[in-house]
Formats: sequence, structure tokens, C-alpha cells
Amino acid sequence: MQNASSDPKKPACGCCGAESSGPSRRGFLAKTAAVVFGAVALAGPVAVGLFSFLSPLRRTKQAGTFCRVATLDALPADGTPRKFPVIADRTDAWTLYKNVPVGSVFLRLVAPGQVQALSVICPHAGCFVGFDAAAGDFVCPCHAARFDLDGRRTDKDSKSPRDMDALAGVEIRGTEIWVHYEKFRTGIAEKVVQS
Amino acid sequence: MNAIGRWIESRTGVVAWLGRCRERRVGGRACLRRSLPCLVLFAFAVQVITGIFLLMRYCPSSQTAWESVYHLQYEIQGGWLLRAVHHTCGQAVLVLVGLWLLGMILRGTYRAPREFVYWSVLLLGLVTLALLLTGDLLAWDENSRSATLTRVGFLQSLPGVGEPLFRLAAAGAEFGNLTLAQFTALHAVVLAGAFGLLLGLRWWFARRANEPNRDRKGAEAAGAPYWPNQTLVNVVGCLILLAVVFGCALGHGVDAPQRGVALGPPADPAGFYDAARPEWAFLGLYGFSKLDVFAGSTVVPIFVIPGTLVLLFLLVPFVGQLRLGRFPLGHVLNVVLVLVLLAGDVGLSLAVIAHDRADEQHQRAIRQSRQAAERITVLIDHHGGIPPAGALTLLQDDPKTQGPILFQRYCATCHNHAGKSPDDIQAEEPSAPNLFAYGSRRWLAGLLDPERIDEADYFGNTAFRRGPMVDFIKETFSEMEPEDREDRERIVAALSAEAKLLAQAALDRQDAATIAQGRELITDYCTDCHQFGGKGKLGTAPELTGWASRQWMIGMISNPADPRYYGKKNDRMQAYAETEDEAKNLLTNREIELLVDWLRGEWYEPVVRSP
Repeated sequence: MQNASSDPKKPACGCCGAESSGPSRRGFLAKTAAVVFGAVALAGPVAVGLFSFLSPLRRTKQAGTFCRVATLDALPADGTPRKFPVIADRTDAWTLYKNVPVGSVFLRLVAPGQVQALSVICPHAGCFVGFDAAAGDFVCPCHAARFDLDGRRTDKDSKSPRDMDALAGVEIRGTEIWVHYEKFRTGIAEKVVQS
Repeated sequence: MNAIGRWIESRTGVVAWLGRCRERRVGGRACLRRSLPCLVLFAFAVQVITGIFLLMRYCPSSQTAWESVYHLQYEIQGGWLLRAVHHTCGQAVLVLVGLWLLGMILRGTYRAPREFVYWSVLLLGLVTLALLLTGDLLAWDENSRSATLTRVGFLQSLPGVGEPLFRLAAAGAEFGNLTLAQFTALHAVVLAGAFGLLLGLRWWFARRANEPNRDRKGAEAAGAPYWPNQTLVNVVGCLILLAVVFGCALGHGVDAPQRGVALGPPADPAGFYDAARPEWAFLGLYGFSKLDVFAGSTVVPIFVIPGTLVLLFLLVPFVGQLRLGRFPLGHVLNVVLVLVLLAGDVGLSLAVIAHDRADEQHQRAIRQSRQAAERITVLIDHHGGIPPAGALTLLQDDPKTQGPILFQRYCATCHNHAGKSPDDIQAEEPSAPNLFAYGSRRWLAGLLDPERIDEADYFGNTAFRRGPMVDFIKETFSEMEPEDREDRERIVAALSAEAKLLAQAALDRQDAATIAQGRELITDYCTDCHQFGGKGKLGTAPELTGWASRQWMIGMISNPADPRYYGKKNDRMQAYAETEDEAKNLLTNREIELLVDWLRGEWYEPVVRSP
């Protein structure tokens, strides 16, 4: 800051501003008002814009839906997992896509009439875990985390912070397998549904 | 801290520069007139800020432009206000730049050495007009597409270069995806950048022009200091401007659906909005081009004369030097030029507004557009979102929207659809029954009324006017006993129940006993000519089993000369779907369904919950 001068006859320094007596107070008021009003004027449009900008924080997507994923006879009897697409409605901002693939799950016959569903999304970084038929286990293509058929981590220093995510809602309706499809947050040790 | 401060100051010189700025003085008292450049800068800043946030939520393409604006307007909280502020403040920029230019010309401050200052402001005005034109298209609603298409389409009328120029402007032979992408880039980057650049240039030129004053000791020193006196006035001006902008943006209240700037129904590439008009800034030019003197010419009123005017405005600083002795002839000419232009523009704009207000056709188009805009929000809510192919597909598959259009196009050559409402469709020469409320008890009661059956609303203008049906009705119901009257009411109820109108469903259930009696009466009275419930033959008159039901109506429109309907006695009505092959028919099966559903008044309406 420059030094304020209170000499009205010397306008070379415009800091004091006003020419009248008692200049410093009026000058100070005017300056403060100018700065404050200026900030308020600019804050108006910024606030309106920020309100829309922050809208993603206010909106929450509806939690997962029950979808018909496969039929019982599509699963190998020996308990080998098989990957199936999940077909459901997907909303992307304003667009509603009806009956489109929204993700994939591994289904496996654990016992006759009993099905286990694992999300294909690796809990580490969100890559899609694959089934290694030769080794008989799951392996993630990105950071080589391995999981057994139940989705448990098998390597001691696994990159994955938790076991593969089992989808709890699996229902057998007649011969159809219905799964309550959900996505979970990646990169953390707890299994938390993405909302 | 001081060391860091000194280091920054030595590298940037900001503090010294601010100090020099504070030394500035204005050439008189601090006042709002001197705030104009600052107000324009502020309005521009508002446009940049709100524009950036809008751009973050906008997707320029035929299927997503309107849809993303819809999302902003109705789904994103506060999005409508952001849109409204950007829209209103855009108009404010034009008004401010216009006032600025007007002030410069009236006060003669375009003269040496301020020629370049004047030209910068003049170019700012032109760039602002271009910003309004490009920004108008982006919402991609009915009016914005149609009005912009017309304005850009005028390029085609230029001899020789017209066609390539239009292709360049539209980024293709027609308005579409690339037009939107290009207009977005022009609006948000090129023109906005040019505006900022011109503001900077104006500041630079103004500084150069004022330098001699600064050397003249005392001349400027007498004026008020820029900081804080003039600055405070500027800032208060900005606040007033902001209040006006927000006032206008909030003018329609904060409740959906009229809040903020209206969003029309999505643009239809196959259609044109009958009430398309440019924004107010271009209304004068529109009115000018419509003047009778320019009949048959667009090049003269749209390009030659406005181009000449721009040239005259560019020459203002030179013309201003002309003097006749001591009389400032040039300046007077300039003032006359701007005042005449202003008066002409205002006059023509008002004439256009007055003409449109009185034009019933225009008002009807506006009304229909508003209805479609309301309807599309209902359809999107009902569908749970917008289909990937765009919102227009929802309107194209909606009986309430398509019914009147199809009726007007295919049926209103002969049929009226008139129930004394503003949306009535009148045939040019009614020569067939009025189909308003067709199938309802009200419609049938008229048909079976001996006084009315040969009126224009029924068979009055048809070949059946003196036919056996009219004779029969006149004979049977002309001098009725009270019990005959009741019989007729029973027949009306029973036959109307065949239509299975949703609107009458409750009534039909309630009157089940009357309807059963009526069915007996129909079998007694009508089956000499009509077939009903298995009795009577086909081929002499239309079948009454399922009369006016959805399927019956679809069949009737498809082929009225089918034995099930009028057979060989069919009076002039066309078959709209005679063959199995839809491509060979006048109407597709879906179009006939839309028409029938509309005639029956059966379309989706949201349930209105009473508070």
C-alpha cells in the first residue's frame, strides 16, 4: 500500500480522494463502499452460476434396481462362474435409455438352486475383473489382484482394499435369476453403495 | 512478508500501476454518464461468468441442445435463473452499448483525436448484435431455430457468393448438429473474445486520446479523482444494473413453468414456426425488409441499405469535420443520421408488434406453441426422461399434439372440429359432419334430432342430406310422445356406449340398465339398414356394433368404402389406408391411431392433485 497523503492541494496522490475538510473519513467511507459494492455486484452472477455448478452435489441417483439377468440353465452345473450383462433403464442427465446394458455380474451356481452374484468391478480402481479359466480364479487386468471363486482376495499383498463385492439381492423366480444390481465405491476398505 | 511483497512488486509492478490509476482524474464531476464504459465492462463480466457456467451444462447438437437447456430450465435448481440472467444481461449490453454510441455522436466526442475510440464502440455494437443472433439459436426451440434460419438464410439471396456463404454460416447445407456446434463456438469464443478485445482496444485508444490533457496542468486536476469518487459512482451504477437485470429475470416469478426466459417446444427440422420473429434488436430491420417498396427484393433492405448505414456510421468522424463557415454542418448531419435511424427503428419495431398483435393467425401460432411447450414438460415427466432420439419424438407420438395437425392437414378440407373453443378447426368449405366430440352422447343426440340431422354439423352438406337416414329420423322422432323421447335417449346412451370413450366410462357403468334397454331398441329400430349385434346386413349402412370405438374409427378412416362402413354409398371420403403396405397409403397406421385417439380425447394427462 502507498502512504496516504492528506493534503488536498496535492492530488498527485489520489489516495485520500476527497477535497473537502475531514477528507480522510469521507475518502475512507467512499473507498470501502466502492470495494464492498463492487464485490457484491460481482458476487451476484457468480453465486447464481455456482448454484447450478454445485447441482451434482444435491442430486442423488436412485439406488439399484432388480433386474432379470439370466436363467438357471444358463449356468454351468460345475460351479464355474459366468459373466452376464445387466439390462436396465439408465438415466443420463435428461436422457432415459430404456433396457440398455448398465453393467455386468458374475453368476455362479453354488448349490442346486442357489446362485452367487459378484460385481465384476474391481474394488481397487474400478477395472473389470476377468475369470481365469486355467487357474480357476478371478484376476483383475489392471493391477493383477486375484480373487477366489467366492471373491476373496488370495494374494497376501493384494492391491484390492477389500474382497470382490457380492450382490446381496439375488432371487430365483421360477427358473429366472433376478439380481438387485448396485455399484459400490472403489478404493476403500468398506463396501459402500454408490449413490 | 515485506521481502516477499517487494519481490512481487519488483517483478509485476502492480502496486505502482494501481497507484498511477488512483491518480487519474475525470474531466469534471463524478457522474453516472462517465460510468458507461465501466457498466459495459461489468455487464460483459456478468455475461462471461454466467456464460461459462451455462456452457458447462450445454450440449450443442440437434438431439441434445434443447434437451440440455430443458434440463437446465426445469431439472437443475437455479438453472432457470442462470439462463434468465444471461439472457436479460445480454439485452442490457446492447442497450448500454447503444446508449454509449448515441452519447458519443450527440456530444460529438467521436471527433479528433478520438476517432478510434468511436470506431471501437461502433464495432462493440455490431459484435453485440452478432452475439444476440448466435446466442438466440442455441436454445434450439421452435422460435430460435426458425427465426435464425430466416436471418441466416438471407445470405442465400446474395448473388454469386450467397450459397457458399450460407453453407459456411450453417456449417452445412441445412441447420443441424454442426450449425449448433459452430454457433456455440462463435458465440462463446470468437464473438465473446472479440468483445473483450474491443473493450481493451477502446481503453487503450481512450488513454492515448487523453494523454495531451494529462500534460496540460490544471485542466484535469480540476476534475474529481477517479478513485474513489468516480469508482463509487461506477460501482453504484453496476449495482443498479444488476438489480434491473435480476428484476427482469425474476419478473415472471420463481414458480415453474413460466419462470425466467420462456423455452418453446423443441425445434422441428421438418417444420417451421409460423410466429417466428427475431429478437427485439432485429425487429426494426425485419419491419424494414417487409416494407412494400422492397417487394421481391431481400438484397436491398437486408444487405445494401444496412450495409450503407454501417458505412455511414464508420464515416461519422470524417463527416463530423465538415464545417460551413462557423456552422458545424458535419456534426449536425451525424446527429440527424442517428436520430432518424433511431426513430425509424423504433417506429418499425412498434409497427411490427402492433401488426402481430392484431394478426389472429400469428396469435394462434403463439398460443399453440405455448401449449406445446407446456405439453412437452408433461410428456417428459410421464416418460420419466427424454428418449435418446430427442424430445421431439415425444411430441411426434402424442395424440394431443399431432391430432389437430393431422386433422387440419387431412380432414379439415371437409370436416369441422368445432366446439366453440379458441382451438376450433374450421373447414374452408364444410361438406361433412362436425367431428367435435364424435361418438359422445352429445354428438349422437344431435344426429338423432330431426331438427338437426340435416344441418351442417351432421348430414346437411353431404349426399345423405335427403337420404333414407334423414327421412327415417324425421319420420320417427318428429312428433314424439314423452315415452318416445325416453326411447331415443336410451338409444343414444346405448350406441354411444359402443364407442367406449374413456371420458364416458363412468357414465356408461352408471347407466348400464338404460344401455341394455337401448340395445334392444337399436336391434328393433336400426337393423333394417345397419348391422348391430349380429342382426341386419352389412353394405347398406355403417355397422353399429362397436360404433365409433377405437377400432371402428381406425377402420372407417382407413377405408370408408369398406362394406363394414359406407360401402358403395360412400360420399367422397378418401381411404387413408386402403392397402396393407403403409408406404402406399396416405397416412401411416400410427398416424391414424394418433388422429383417432385425439378425436376420442384420449391422451395422457397428469392427475391433478387437489391441494
